[in-house]
Parts: sequence; structure tokens; C-alpha cells
Amino acid sequence: MSGLTTIARWALPGIAALLVACSNNVVVQGNFPEPVLDKMPYTIGVYYDPEFRGHEFFDEASSREESDWLVRTGDAQVQMYNTLLPGMFEKVVMLNDIPRRDRVEAVGGEHLDAVLVPHVAELQYSIPSHTKINVFEIWMRYRYELYATDGELLADWTMTSYGKTPTAFLQSAEAAVNLAAVVVLRDAGANFAMNFSSVPEVKMWMEQVEVAQDSLSLEDEAATVEPAVGNDSGEAEQ
Amino acid sequence: MSLIQIRTLPMLLALLLLIQGCVTSTVDEVLYEGPKANLGDASVVIMGRRHASDYETEPDFIECVGDHIKSADKTINVMSELDFMNALYPWFEPRTAPLRPLDIERLIQVGPVKRKLEELKTEYMVWIDGETVRTEGSGSMTCGIGPGGAGCFGFGTWGNDANYEATIWDFTDRQEVGRMSTQASGQSYMPAVVVPIPIIAPVQGTACDGLGEQLLEFFSSE
Repeated sequence: MSGLTTIARWALPGIAALLVACSNNVVVQGNFPEPVLDKMPYTIGVYYDPEFRGHEFFDEASSREESDWLVRTGDAQVQMYNTLLPGMFEKVVMLNDIPRRDRVEAVGGEHLDAVLVPHVAELQYSIPSHTKINVFEIWMRYRYELYATDGELLADWTMTSYGKTPTAFLQSAEAAVNLAAVVVLRDAGANFAMNFSSVPEVKMWMEQVEVAQDSLSLEDEAATVEPAVGNDSGEAEQ
Repeated sequence: MSLIQIRTLPMLLALLLLIQGCVTSTVDEVLYEGPKANLGDASVVIMGRRHASDYETEPDFIECVGDHIKSADKTINVMSELDFMNALYPWFEPRTAPLRPLDIERLIQVGPVKRKLEELKTEYMVWIDGETVRTEGSGSMTCGIGPGGAGCFGFGTWGNDANYEATIWDFTDRQEVGRMSTQASGQSYMPAVVVPIPIIAPVQGTACDGLGEQLLEFFSSE
């Protein structure tokens, strides 16, 4: 009996290790560079919903020769946007909630020009198993929502990104997946940075903010001129 | 007799590992401007083209060409592809990279990009476009494992073709100053009698040396 217990004690971790070996778990890690851009003169609130923060994709093995894949991209994509957005806009404010008509306080009393909410709308990937090399491809479609601080939806658009393992040389399968994910996130950032102001609804919003800023500065100018006029009239009354 | 066998076997194996398949290569060059000497502290960046949907220029190849130039002439400051892409993110990503020298003018209009390029002192940019592909293969090999040991038996052969083109841009004059191309092809073999012996044709390495040498001639002041 004790012999059986000893065998079980040694065999169980081995079986467990074999079971673990059938699944791959990758937490995407990478360094994302700060963008080299002319900053846009807006204060933007950013809200990442829990699904976005914890985004992951799971691929279940279809045969005994294949293994399960769990790829966690949430942290890496938050890191990428946290590096990208402050390089694009004058000021970025992180929010804990999405602005709504009945909950304006969600923006935390900050003056914001708009609130950006990114979502992962779709993700596809491919593993070229026929070549037996560690090259992975990932395709993502992001959906972006731009809200006014009162909760009005200003713009809603999608952008795609693509990434492929740049090299299979001396790569483990996990490292290859990680590299493909980093490339797709870099591409998503590049696409967003280069095309944000070309989205028609965003363009319209930018024009509105510009007009509002111009009228505000005109009001400010008028306010600084008014006291002088008052003095003049006062003097005239005397 | 057995002593001789023990001594000669590792040597034979080492010799077999050193055997390489044959490679044939050609290099073409078109220069619109003569090679410029004395780059000084200016830098050269070598980048791979990755905007095509069906292939990507391998980063290993770009690194190999850069290493070839740096090792032959230490006065040439070759900036790594990734460092350059990171320093100028997102302007040199596959979807945003300039495709013509005139596009540099558009980049210079962006203040932070202009400042960064001045800081990096980028004088020349080399775009390498191409790939190494595996062509026809034939043969078969069977491997087995048993209580007495393991082994393979058979023969396999395959070909590789490398085709690359380098375009040199002058960053200061914003124009193309030269174009070089290299083609290499070779056949690799893998005979197996118990142990598989790969006789690999270094196709990509030969293409790298060919292109690296031409670029070195252009940039080198030595």
C-alpha cells in the first residue's frame, strides 16, 4: 500500500506536468514606443472597460497532437494605448466609468473635450501548421467610441490591424505568438495615430471644438475689453 | 582498429557538418551618384520592406547586412532597424513607411519628426525588399526508435532562392542615389544512414554577403 502511495506521489506530478504541457499560456509582453507626433490640442478622457483590460483569446486544441492556446493581450494593449494617447493629445485623463447623460460626474469634474472608449471588436489568428515553423498571424478589428462629456455619442468607427511573427529563427511557439501580438498592437497604434483625424465624425467634432474654442477666446477678449469700456462710460457720466 | 574508429568518427562527423551545399549568386548595381566618402558621425539605417501582403523581408537578413557593413568598416554608424522604428514611431511601421524619397518631404513637415531625424543624424536610408523562399523538394526519410536505439534512413533534397533589392535614399537631398540587387540559389541535401547529415546551402548568407559588400563599397571611406 505504501509502495502504491510512493508511486502515486511520484507519478501524479508527472501526469500533471504532462497535462500542463498540452496547453500554452502566453501573457503578451512588449515595449511600446512613444509616438513622435504633433500633439492635438484636446483634453481627452479614456475609459478601458473590464473586457478590454482583461482581453484574451483561447484556442482549443482540435486533436491530441495540437495544444490549447490562451493568449492574454489585455495588459499589453492597455500599456500600448497608455503610451500612445499621451503622445497624441495635449492631455489625457484616465476615467473609471463611461460618461452618461445621468452620470456626468463620471468624468470626475475635469474639463474634457471628449471621452475615448476603445473595444476589441474582432480577432482572428492563424497558425501555419503545414510549415511546422513558429510563425503566427493575428488580425484585429478595434472599435472606437468617442463621447461628449454628457454621454452623447460623437463618433463610432472601426480600425483594423495586422501582425505576424517577424522571424521564426530560434523562436519557441510562445515567443512567436508574443511577437505577433506585439506587432499587431504596434500596427493598431500606428493606424489609430495616423487616421484618427481623418474619420469623418471625428473631423466634424474637431471642427466643432475649434469653433467653440474660438468663440471662448473671443468672449475672453471681450471680457478683458469690457472693464475699460465701463471706465470710459463712468468717466463720461461724471 | 576500434581506437582508430573512435578517433576518426567525431572528425568525420565534424567534417560532414562543415560540408555545405553549392550556391550560385549574382549581384547587380545601378548608382545615380558616385559613392560618398567620409560619412563622419552621420548614420545609415537599413530597413526591410514589409508592406506587401504575401511576403516580408526577413529581419534576420537586414541585421545580417548591417553586421556585414559594421564588421568591415567600423567608421560607419549603422543604426539598428528596430531602434530607428522605435525612435520614429509610428512613421516607419509597415503601413506608414514612406514608399518614395519624395515622401520624406511630408515627414519633415512634422516638427517632432524633423527634430528626431536631425538628432539621429540619418544621412542615408537603405530599403531592402525581397525574401528567401524554399523551392522544390524531394526525397523521403524514415526515422524509428526502439529498445536498441534510434536512427533514420533516407535522403532528402530541397532548393532555396534568395532575391533582394536594396534602394539607397539620400535623406539630405531627398532622392534615390542607388539601387543594388542580389540573387542567389542553392540546393541542400540531407542523406541519412542512422544519423541524418544536413548539407545546407547557405543561400541567404551568400545573398547577405553579396549585398553587404556592395553597400560597403558605397559607404566605406576605407
